[in-house]
Amino acid sequence: MYMMSGRARFGTSTYDQGLLWVTLILLGIGLVMVYSASIAMAEADRATGHQSTYFLVRQAIYIVISLMAGLVAFSIPTKMWQKVAPYLFLSGFALLIVVLIPGIGRNINGSQRWLSLFVINLQPSEFMKLFSAIYVADYTVRKASVMDSFTRGFLPMLIVMLLVGGLLLREPDFGAFAVIASISISILWLGGINARIFTALLFMLVIGFILLIWSSPYRLQRIIGFMDPWADPFGKGYQLSHALIAFGRGEWFGVGLGASVEKLLYLPEAHTDFLLAVIAEELGFMGVAVVVGLFVWLVVRAFGIGKEAIKNECYFSSLLAQGIGVWMGVQGIINMGVNMGLLPTKGLTLPLLSFGGSGVLANCIALAVLLRIDYENRRIQKGLPT
Amino acid sequence: MAVVQQAIKFPVWRRRLLLMMVLSGFALLICRAVYLQGLHRAFLQKEGDARYTREIVLTSHRGMIMDRNGEPLAISTPVESIWASPPDVEADKEQLVKLAALLEIQSNELSKKLVNQNRDFVYLKRRIPPQLASHVMQLGIPGIFTQREYRRYYPAGDVTAHLVGFTGSDEVGQEGFELKYQDWLSGKNGSRHVIKDRQGHIVEDLEAVKVPQDGHDLVVSIDRKIQYLAYRELAKAVEENKAKAGSAIVLDAKTGEILAMANLPSYNPNNPENILGKSRNRAIVDTFEPGSTMKPMTIGAAIETGNFTADTKIQTAPGTMVIGTATIHDSHPQGLITVAQVIQKSSNVGAAKIALTMKPQYLWGVYNQLGFGSPTHVGFPGEVGGKLRNYKTWRPIEQATMAFGNGISVTLLQLARAYTVFANEGELRPVSLLKLKDPPVGQQVFTAQTANTIKDMLELVVQPGGTAPKAQVVGYRVAGKTGTAHKVGIGGYLEDKYVSSFVGMAPATNPRIIIAVMIDEPSNGKYYGGEVAAPVFSTLMAGTLRMLSVPQDAPNNNVVLPPEGAPEVKEDT
Repeated sequence: MYMMSGRARFGTSTYDQGLLWVTLILLGIGLVMVYSASIAMAEADRATGHQSTYFLVRQAIYIVISLMAGLVAFSIPTKMWQKVAPYLFLSGFALLIVVLIPGIGRNINGSQRWLSLFVINLQPSEFMKLFSAIYVADYTVRKASVMDSFTRGFLPMLIVMLLVGGLLLREPDFGAFAVIASISISILWLGGINARIFTALLFMLVIGFILLIWSSPYRLQRIIGFMDPWADPFGKGYQLSHALIAFGRGEWFGVGLGASVEKLLYLPEAHTDFLLAVIAEELGFMGVAVVVGLFVWLVVRAFGIGKEAIKNECYFSSLLAQGIGVWMGVQGIINMGVNMGLLPTKGLTLPLLSFGGSGVLANCIALAVLLRIDYENRRIQKGLPT
Repeated sequence: MAVVQQAIKFPVWRRRLLLMMVLSGFALLICRAVYLQGLHRAFLQKEGDARYTREIVLTSHRGMIMDRNGEPLAISTPVESIWASPPDVEADKEQLVKLAALLEIQSNELSKKLVNQNRDFVYLKRRIPPQLASHVMQLGIPGIFTQREYRRYYPAGDVTAHLVGFTGSDEVGQEGFELKYQDWLSGKNGSRHVIKDRQGHIVEDLEAVKVPQDGHDLVVSIDRKIQYLAYRELAKAVEENKAKAGSAIVLDAKTGEILAMANLPSYNPNNPENILGKSRNRAIVDTFEPGSTMKPMTIGAAIETGNFTADTKIQTAPGTMVIGTATIHDSHPQGLITVAQVIQKSSNVGAAKIALTMKPQYLWGVYNQLGFGSPTHVGFPGEVGGKLRNYKTWRPIEQATMAFGNGISVTLLQLARAYTVFANEGELRPVSLLKLKDPPVGQQVFTAQTANTIKDMLELVVQPGGTAPKAQVVGYRVAGKTGTAHKVGIGGYLEDKYVSSFVGMAPATNPRIIIAVMIDEPSNGKYYGGEVAAPVFSTLMAGTLRMLSVPQDAPNNNVVLPPEGAPEVKEDT
């Protein structure tokens, strides 16, 4: 649409500066807000040694590491990603199995999602999102000729996804599964999967979700808590009711940076899953709108880069770029929707903003890949080798 | 590769549709944010306030009540109340058992209080000692808090109960000084409107702090040591004489300050339960017929007319006197006696004869000036003024009986005050329950000469031949008068129920202290004022003079008791 003007503006540039800046701004907002949201909690917690900067320091280190990792990722040609796609996916799959082995995987808050790696806890599901995007994009390109066929084009992917889903739900990490499923389905959809198969699949998926929810009391509880937090505001609805109060207190322009009351141990997970609630309270609707706007920018740019790649007949790059866009968009929407009481509580972080090493690292690598795709687009259009 | 790529078809509409779906998700979020932060915020903020804003009462300190030497009679001591915010309480079973044991409440009662998740303020136990509260807090249970309160403590307990009174649970005075000086003693509670974090720390004040205003201290005229003595001696006498009740007043004769005022039965103001019938400050709120302690007033009025002197002879034979249909008796007929002997021997006939020589209006005027029939305005809740009927309605028999204290009712305080005229050369001094800076101005009722004449007569009362030798005090000259009156019941005087009293002063040369003692219904055989009330007067006066280091005005061997077997002199009743 407006890509022509965009290209004209950045025509002389070799990479998408706007996208880089949006990423850095989101990381910056995240760092500041993680610090603000975690001060009281860190001070009160013996596990952090009562250091108010405990989470700030760690998040800053994560971001530095992630930016360096992003630089490395940016230097890897897209073809290379495509070549190693199955291996990445298999290694991610292996990690998902490893994390479930008692004694190796770490259980926090009733979920077995983390692998202890000396200083940081690695969360394989975060990387599986990236690996899935790469793998499904590669798969779709390879099977492009049989995309109309159910047994040859679709069924293998369905089986693979059900296996991944089964592992994720064992942790349990329902949110990661929802994101990975969204990425995969979106890429298949963009890759031209038969519309009738797709509809049937979507239908089955919905049925499956409902069955899952009804079969597990832990998920059912979350659903009930989400439907009406005020029915049991001191029990199941506790977290959400406090998140909503944070939004109400923030009004249009917020109570001011650092002035949140909800973060004073009222709102659990204020620095991770419920970071947006603290943003809403301290920076108001304006803060929320800026964050949403930046995410919209990310998604629109990812789809734009995907469109450019098609023009250059780089089909894998195109699908991967849009898959990354769907990832950022869906995870952002789910997390914010949870914060605002539109969706049941999932245990899903806000990409680039929430506290967490694995999440930030995986997000940065993904955006570096996106920047790489755009970089290659520009090179091809200029007739340079990729 | 080339073959595969030819088969790829990427429909543009699918990309657009997917992008639109994602963007509409974001649009929905914006709408939701507008709703929460713009439209729905009043409700959300109200819910928030309910969770973390608190109105904190800043308890003010109630003033202390002190005796004239600064000794405490009522103190507000800090206590702690334990309260919980049930939603925040996180405790295991063992902790709850410990908590219940410390607070001395049942475990199931405790769980019942903590189960209500919709309340965020529940008292678990109020007013416990600070030390116990710190033990409770050491359990470290989140959601359990303390609140500073004050408890009124009365160090002198029963001894000053009637004077000081007590406060209710909300620190409002219920009796005595606590009631009378409520506004002076009580402070004004302040308040803070604050936001608290989840652990209960105050984060910020939402409005200016209303600072509590502490109450004022009150210094009363009582001397705690004398009060203790008065209470102890009175209690002894009430017990020995199996009396129903008793009162004693120690008055500074010069300033009118009440140094002690004891009553029995008493109660413990620190735990005021079952106080019915025990809580009255009888010396101020109850009246009785004074009996012969009125005679000095009558004789004083007579001498003031100039028609009588101490030596004027009065014929009291044959010991009876008929007025109309009524007859006045002397139980020990005396024959021809002097006016002084009328006092010393306490002759009813003599006093009646003298009284009948005066005009009712004059006699009433003297009684009235001496403060009978109207309250002393000493500043005590429930004070009464007694009964002195208007002279216009006096019949002769009434005038005659009033002369020896029948048909008139007084409080013990009124009686004690009336005796200040004999201690101050005819000047009546107002009485006070508060410590005075300057001695008050009195009112001249009798001339100094008359007053001193009566005082001399009163000295005869405690000497052998008088009605109260037992009122004597070693080293001091004493002047005083006994009273023994039948109690008034339904249908007239009760034959076997008496009020025994003694009012006196010392040192008689320049009286410093006036003591009035009244014993209600002594029922252990003795009932004469000289037998029942005078010994209390004697020990109390001796102790008081010693405590105040009053110089002696007599040698240490001044006490002369009647010889063994000598006929006892009894007053008439």
